[in-house]
Amino acid sequence: MTIVNHNEKIDTVNVVIDGIEMEVPKGTLVIRAAEQIGIEIPRFCDHPLLTPVAACRACLIEIDGVPKPQPACAQVLSEGMNVRTQRSSEMARIAQEGVMEFLLVNHPLDCPVCDKGGECPLQNQAMTVGRPDSRFEGEKRTFPKPINVNAEILLDRERCVSCARCTRFAEEIAGDASLELLERGAQQQVGTANDEPFDSYFSGNVVQICPVGALTSASYRFRSRPFDLVSVPTTCEHCASGCSLRTDYRRGTVTRRLAWDDPEVNEDWSCDKGRFAFAYLANGRIESPLIRENGELRSASWPEAMHFAAAGLAAAGTSAVLVGGRATVEDAYAYSKFARIVLGTDNLDFRARASSTEEAEFLAAHVAGRKLDVTYTDIETASQVLLIGFEPEDESPILFLRLRKGVKRGVSVHTVGPLYSLGSEKLSAHWVKAKAGSEAHAISGLDSEIVGALDSNSIIFVGERAAASPGALSAVSRLGSQTGARIAWVPRRAGERGALDAGAIAGLLPGGRPISDPTARSEVAQAWNIDADSLPNVGLTGTELVTAIKQGSTSALVIAGVDPSDLPNGDELIAGIENADFVVALENHHSEITQRASVVFPVAVVTEKSGSFMNWEGRSKPFSAAFREALTLTDAGVLSMLASAMNVQLNGDTRALRKELNSLVPWSGPRTDVNNHEVHAPAGTTLATWRLLIDSGVMQEGEPHLAATARPSVVAVSAAMFEQLGKPEVITVTGPKGSITLPTQVAEVSNESVWLPMNSPESHIYAQLGCGYGQAVTVKGGAA
Amino acid sequence: MKLTPVITEHWDDPELYTLDGYKSHGGYEALAKALTSDPDSIIATVKDSGLRGRGGAGFPTGLKWSFVPQNDGKPHYLVVNADESEPGACKDIPIMMANPHALLEGVIISSFAIRANHAFIYIRGEVPAAIRKVAFAVKQAREAGLIGKNIQGSGFDLEVTVHAGAGAYICGEETALLDSLEGYRGQPRLKPPFPAVAGLYASPTVINNVETIANIPYIIDRGVDWFRQFGTEKSPGFKVFAVSGHVQRPGIYEAPLGITMRELLDFAGGMRPGAELKFWLPGGSSVPMLTADHLDLPLTYEAMVEAGSMLGTGTPMIFDQTVSVVKAVTRWLEFYKHESCGKCTPCREGTYWITGVLEKFEHGNGTTGEMETLTTLCGQIAGRSFCALGDAAATPYPAAIKYFSDEFTAATHTSADEQFDPVASYVFSGVRA
Amino acid sequence: MPELPAAVRGFGVTFGTIFKKVVTEQYPEDSSKYPPKPRFHGRHQLNRWADGLEKCIGCELCAWACPADAIFVQGADNSDEERYSPGERYGRVYQINYTRCIFCGLCIEACPTRALTMTNEFELADNNRADLIYEKQDLLGPMLPGMLAPPHDMVPGTTDSDYYANKITGSVPQQSTPQQSTPQQGGVA
Repeated sequence: MTIVNHNEKIDTVNVVIDGIEMEVPKGTLVIRAAEQIGIEIPRFCDHPLLTPVAACRACLIEIDGVPKPQPACAQVLSEGMNVRTQRSSEMARIAQEGVMEFLLVNHPLDCPVCDKGGECPLQNQAMTVGRPDSRFEGEKRTFPKPINVNAEILLDRERCVSCARCTRFAEEIAGDASLELLERGAQQQVGTANDEPFDSYFSGNVVQICPVGALTSASYRFRSRPFDLVSVPTTCEHCASGCSLRTDYRRGTVTRRLAWDDPEVNEDWSCDKGRFAFAYLANGRIESPLIRENGELRSASWPEAMHFAAAGLAAAGTSAVLVGGRATVEDAYAYSKFARIVLGTDNLDFRARASSTEEAEFLAAHVAGRKLDVTYTDIETASQVLLIGFEPEDESPILFLRLRKGVKRGVSVHTVGPLYSLGSEKLSAHWVKAKAGSEAHAISGLDSEIVGALDSNSIIFVGERAAASPGALSAVSRLGSQTGARIAWVPRRAGERGALDAGAIAGLLPGGRPISDPTARSEVAQAWNIDADSLPNVGLTGTELVTAIKQGSTSALVIAGVDPSDLPNGDELIAGIENADFVVALENHHSEITQRASVVFPVAVVTEKSGSFMNWEGRSKPFSAAFREALTLTDAGVLSMLASAMNVQLNGDTRALRKELNSLVPWSGPRTDVNNHEVHAPAGTTLATWRLLIDSGVMQEGEPHLAATARPSVVAVSAAMFEQLGKPEVITVTGPKGSITLPTQVAEVSNESVWLPMNSPESHIYAQLGCGYGQAVTVKGGAA
Repeated sequence: MKLTPVITEHWDDPELYTLDGYKSHGGYEALAKALTSDPDSIIATVKDSGLRGRGGAGFPTGLKWSFVPQNDGKPHYLVVNADESEPGACKDIPIMMANPHALLEGVIISSFAIRANHAFIYIRGEVPAAIRKVAFAVKQAREAGLIGKNIQGSGFDLEVTVHAGAGAYICGEETALLDSLEGYRGQPRLKPPFPAVAGLYASPTVINNVETIANIPYIIDRGVDWFRQFGTEKSPGFKVFAVSGHVQRPGIYEAPLGITMRELLDFAGGMRPGAELKFWLPGGSSVPMLTADHLDLPLTYEAMVEAGSMLGTGTPMIFDQTVSVVKAVTRWLEFYKHESCGKCTPCREGTYWITGVLEKFEHGNGTTGEMETLTTLCGQIAGRSFCALGDAAATPYPAAIKYFSDEFTAATHTSADEQFDPVASYVFSGVRA
Repeated sequence: MPELPAAVRGFGVTFGTIFKKVVTEQYPEDSSKYPPKPRFHGRHQLNRWADGLEKCIGCELCAWACPADAIFVQGADNSDEERYSPGERYGRVYQINYTRCIFCGLCIEACPTRALTMTNEFELADNNRADLIYEKQDLLGPMLPGMLAPPHDMVPGTTDSDYYANKITGSVPQQSTPQQSTPQQGGVA
């Protein structure tokens, strides 16, 4: 049999495994080739994405002409090699049996209390290739039972078989090399230097790849057994990386989430947020529709609430729709349609964060409707990668891992920004220092050497933060057209890229169609079965829209998934909602908005609905409901009911919406250009800030172990500024609204900026300082 | 056969360790000769001499050198394995203490041959005296212009670094030594790539034993024919034999390869009074033991393999009738258990298990079934472990059971100390009498 | 000889039987006279160690073994403050659904700590389904003399291995008041 694709010219070798002739690409390992023909060779240290170590010796096989058994996980096949595994070689069988017996010598017999029991490669392989009985009668080596390697990960050293998967993952994949094997011989154990916590955003992966129960997670500890669990594939809702995950649930409760193998996206990995932050799915949900009566919210039946909402919206004046980043593509598309058809407005935005008109132009010109222009795989072979206003480790951790993979293969990374972070260090990135808010200057002033090296094989990654740096996105746009480098926009939230393509932003119809373009209008009108003239004209977005709501010129609001504290002008939005004629909120948890809304509809979370997220690549990542019996409605479902209460027919079925959106193939007509925006960075010290991966986000609530792995809230300043401030232990940063005092961390920061986490414990930038990224702040040593 | 002191010839000169002392006996003449010749011709000379590695495995040195790719644009390194920690082996440390310049001259010539501009001497950390001697020799050589830039006007640059280990037997394994030298935890590396292609800092590296390198100046100085007049066709040359154990005069005897143990025993004054030889090991605890029946075999790489043992480090350990084989094997296994690095399963778990069972035998609590178990356990380690440490740990028991199974059978009811009075085996046992 | 009429012959059987030994067992009046066989598979019981700690470690092996899917277990972590069983893990939730149970006994064979055994009790009828789901408190064995109701510490100076080796003979006073360190009177065999 052959596993070679003959369309490509690959050097191959002919080999025989257990009598089966194969043609495999040169360099293939015995264990991989055997897998292809369904021969399972036992293994512990082997992992397809880690470099071979041949340490566990469980995979010993016989090669004709070689006197000693060889490890299949490290043995490269060569021409004419005749391999015999345990299925056809007595030598291999005995060798494997011997190793298995040795592995069990010091392994405790505590399977009944072990979380791995039932899905344990050691259990399974001991049954398939091990001896039926044990000859060991001595004392087993013992260690104190589980110790924490960090708040979320528990280590039971007795169970460890020293396969070094975890330590190799930490070093090779995550770049957090603090997990190491310590001591020697039978006392060899996994640990960290000085018992400091294993500080990594990817620590949960070591639990998943541990072939025994040595590494377990605090959140899943003693929760369930694999045979009790129902596993369903899903797409992570936490960021725009678009990871495939596996959700395991038992009796209607999610017990854990694991990374699902998706070679195109997350390979075998996931970040700790995607893995552990799921308690919010069940905790504190809104259970029934609520309507405001005499100033108080009360439960109402669905029909009552629907009629109340329909009447309220119909009676109110100009309306607007704000949809946050949690919406699936289909839900965002439903909002996009609802606004245009039912409410007749183009006042619409999905960006519940700092945004700008420049960004809207940039998205329309470069991002909307463009799919898979840049992919994860492209990163591995890119010539240069430029990161602008983007901190991959915090904002798209799986992209960060792929960048690391690329860097190992020789990709050079340049990062433009005010802070040379730990993540930049792990990417061996070159730092283009920029004052926060004046990235545009840094981009136009890039070294000719870097610019010269940019070509069509280079990638410019722009983060959503670039929107807060005036002129940055137009500078990126110019750089892209000047050099031919491809541009990829990486938002932070899972729903943003899809919402953009669904047209959930003023000025853009689905597929990146400008609402001002007559062809675009007629195409969409036809798909929506309405008259093109009835489509509204360009509405308001971003800051202007919030201001309009506050001033009352927009007096009815449909709002979903928006947390005012994410907006630089969140206070204005709250004030606007308080004054608005009518506010319909679609939410799954209570928030400052639901407390002020006229009517609140509960909507489904990701486990209760099907849908899809579009990741930063523009790749559609569909998922289906874990809990099919859930009675909660999707946002689209609620909007459909609301529309029919307002006498408009709007299909709320997820599949139908997806089909309709897919039929609106991306716009091929003219796109608007990005205007040259003025660069106006404030004088003095500016604020550099972004959200850490693990912070005070609402979707991370209810998982204290995860929260405890968060990086500490600090003020990062340059050594020069530290000196200038008189080497204070704490630093106070003051903005228009107030100040934040946090411990000092001296780091590689631009001398004209100071860095704070955006939304971490004791550091909520908008609420406490009243300003955002790139804006002027005052810095003082010591407490306020 | 006669003793042939070459490396050890002038050890009676207390000044030999100094540069002047070494030079007064013709030292560094080979270097002058080497630096004017073609590096490839040096490799060819060493190849022709048939010199085999003296560290234990006996790999032909010239062949090893020829594996180093030339003109590859990468730096080359020479690493001297001076991490002598094999139980029973005591030859490299005396060489470094008494004649460090012979090593150093060998290092310079070898580096020149393989085009290395940086050589490392990795010395076992527990012997500061040897480290000091070698460091002093390096200092003197540097001051004399024998190390550094443009050595003796040849245009050849060489830096020599003396590095102390941190106390791990595994670091005598060449790739673990490289890891340790690079600052990592000493554990053997996966081969391929072999060190000759990607060794220290992923560059081509030659790793040789102290004695091997110390042979080089004499081969270059006196020629292949001179060297080949000693020893046998397959094991040419001479060897520093370090005889230890129950002999009258334990010590260092340099003799041609092919000398018999009986002859060596005579040089060492024979067994101590009233003692008769019980078993002996040709080279360290990692080679299988032999008995009085094997005393007339030539000590060569090939003859020892034929007899079911190995020449190893060439440091015979002699045991007389007062020694309990059970106890000796147990001590060795305790050593291997303690020194197992933990990387691979058979060695890590196997030494743990075997040691536990042997300790039962030592206390007279073994069972006949466990004798069988031990044999299979050793079979489960030998050839399955990651590096030679595991193989070494699987060596003592099968050899012991081959010749002394009675003692193990007796150990199922009588402890080793009851079978053999431990005091009788002491060197000072006569004191009690 | 003429045959007697059938009716009379029938009564002959009746009268004959009147004087034979009665085989009818009166239930429930005389149920104590006829106990089930000692190895009868009846209602389950969750046993305790001699000091009152629960034997169940919440491993779910019983649930795994159950062919009728009648058992639901959820484990949890013992802590120093709140300990229900020796070792790391205890069964926080333990339910057996007797509308499903087929009394096959595979669960008690699977139990690694002999926490789960079967009693001879067979009178499990009820008039609604919900009450036939027995909770942990319904299944736990009685508190015998020398036992102390969990949560409490293990016998001072012992480990879970001592419990599994059946070395515990009863509770000691320190277990109820963990702070005190009065000298102990036995507790370990």
